[in-house]
Amino acid sequence: MPAIEVTDLRKTYHRPFRKTGNIALRGMTLTVPRGSAFGLIGPNGAGKTTFIKSILGIVQPSHGTIRVLGGSPEDTAVRARIGYLPERLHLPNAWLPTAFLGTVVQLKGLPPDPAGNLRMLERVGLGDAVTRKIGGYSKGMRQRLGLAAALLGKPDLLILDEPTDGIDPMGRMEVRRILQEEVQRGATLFLNSHLLAETERVCDRVAILADGQVVREGRMEDLVRGDSRWVARFAPGVDAPRLAEAGFVAGGADGVFHVEATDPGALNAALDRARATGALLVELRRDGMDLESVLLGTVRARTGVAA
Amino acid sequence: MRPVFGIAGYVLREAISRKFILAFLVGITLVLAVVAMSLRLDVIDGALAASRLFGNELRSSIQSVDVALRPVYQGAAFIVFYGGILFGIVACSDFAPGLMSPGRIEHLLALPIQRWQLMAGTFLGVMTLALGGTLYGTTGLVVIFGVKAGYWTAGPLIAGLMACVGFAAVYAVMLTTATLVRSAALCAAAGFALLVGGIVAGHRQDISTFFEEGVSRTLFMAVTVMLPRLSALAEAAGHISASTPLEVRSLGTLLLGVFVFGLGALAVGFWRFEGKDY
Repeated sequence: MPAIEVTDLRKTYHRPFRKTGNIALRGMTLTVPRGSAFGLIGPNGAGKTTFIKSILGIVQPSHGTIRVLGGSPEDTAVRARIGYLPERLHLPNAWLPTAFLGTVVQLKGLPPDPAGNLRMLERVGLGDAVTRKIGGYSKGMRQRLGLAAALLGKPDLLILDEPTDGIDPMGRMEVRRILQEEVQRGATLFLNSHLLAETERVCDRVAILADGQVVREGRMEDLVRGDSRWVARFAPGVDAPRLAEAGFVAGGADGVFHVEATDPGALNAALDRARATGALLVELRRDGMDLESVLLGTVRARTGVAA
Repeated sequence: MRPVFGIAGYVLREAISRKFILAFLVGITLVLAVVAMSLRLDVIDGALAASRLFGNELRSSIQSVDVALRPVYQGAAFIVFYGGILFGIVACSDFAPGLMSPGRIEHLLALPIQRWQLMAGTFLGVMTLALGGTLYGTTGLVVIFGVKAGYWTAGPLIAGLMACVGFAAVYAVMLTTATLVRSAALCAAAGFALLVGGIVAGHRQDISTFFEEGVSRTLFMAVTVMLPRLSALAEAAGHISASTPLEVRSLGTLLLGVFVFGLGALAVGFWRFEGKDY
């Protein structure tokens, strides 16, 4: 059973006294496997936040079906198993973090656990700020507190909207570690982040959303992997014209060449030809793309803009 | 019901952290303390023989304590009723819009609580605050005069509870307004408009004579018949507080009217909140 299963989800925001509305989602279909770390990426206005709100029951879809953890997002028993961090969490400034977590524990229907709340604050790096009011917290500290609230009760599904927003690089590492621990525990992670490097490091599956539709979805390694293009780096002193005759195209850096090979046999044959020219291989890797390139390529292809 | 109490606790904790609500409680305490320390009542055989305020004698004829205290209790009832509702409108206007603010409402709606529980909890939290403040003030007044004059009455407490019923109708409209427009100012304006409308509705028979007979008068009567008769409720509270006969024909009908209005306003708010996207 998938953690999230959405079929033909459409959402149009209607405004009073207007016949047409703003279309946010145009028939979105997506399945998020249980136990996966799933990233949702896309340009601004693609419908990411509307999608997240839809699967939490905050926004009611115009059309389509949503199943979360095998049930409806309207079901409180299902929502009790979800930890959610909104993009801009508004926190009560005059409260202490322990009081805030205590209230969230109560509203989640969990037994009171002040010691557990303190441990959670320490886990997200707020152990030294327990006695400070939330109003005195920095943006990054607020984000950590929001993450702590989302993690309460060991949820089966974590939905995080920009979890590292405002957090310094060291803090991001800590958050990444916590998220990886949660995935190892068996939780499903659904991450929406503008920091693509963050998504690339944490997630094993990614969906690209553009114009209210999923335009690409799959395993991270499949998305960022080049199909048949390889990068080879040779020791200095190679004979570039002869390597070119062997099918190697010079790359940007000294000694770096690209070669096309659809299977291991073709790759080794090309390398044998290169070695026959006297070139000494020092590095070989698949010519992959980073997530940013994948996103840009996918969105540009969708909108018809030349890459 | 646990989530409802949880949200009510959330609202109360938020209220307690506000300085002006704490200042209001301190203000009530100071007024009660000043009255307790500066007022001296000499009661002989159940009659008020002399009274002094800040050491100055207040001239009045000798009369029984319950009669002498009537204007005091009646005045206090009006202050609690109108003053309390006005303060409540200002102090509580941003509770619901605050809970429905971006970043907070998403977090609350993602928790395992129903939408109606969120609304009911907010209403319960605000009414607990109103009830607590009212009972604190009126009980203090009753205790002070009870100790000093030996005259004990539950009238001011009942009057305070009636003020809370009036405020419940007003806050129901404010809460419903918050589901339509997330604005503290508009919530306060809606509450204030209902208070004025409720005062007018209480005197609708007298005021209707200013309208010409026909469409305008009928229209005025039709509009005001739907509003809670808050001024009539305030006068009834004043009479109960002073232990004087009621002028309204049926207090039960009056309270029922206010209750039904508040329930209707809340029903609209619940319905709107259930179907709203945030």
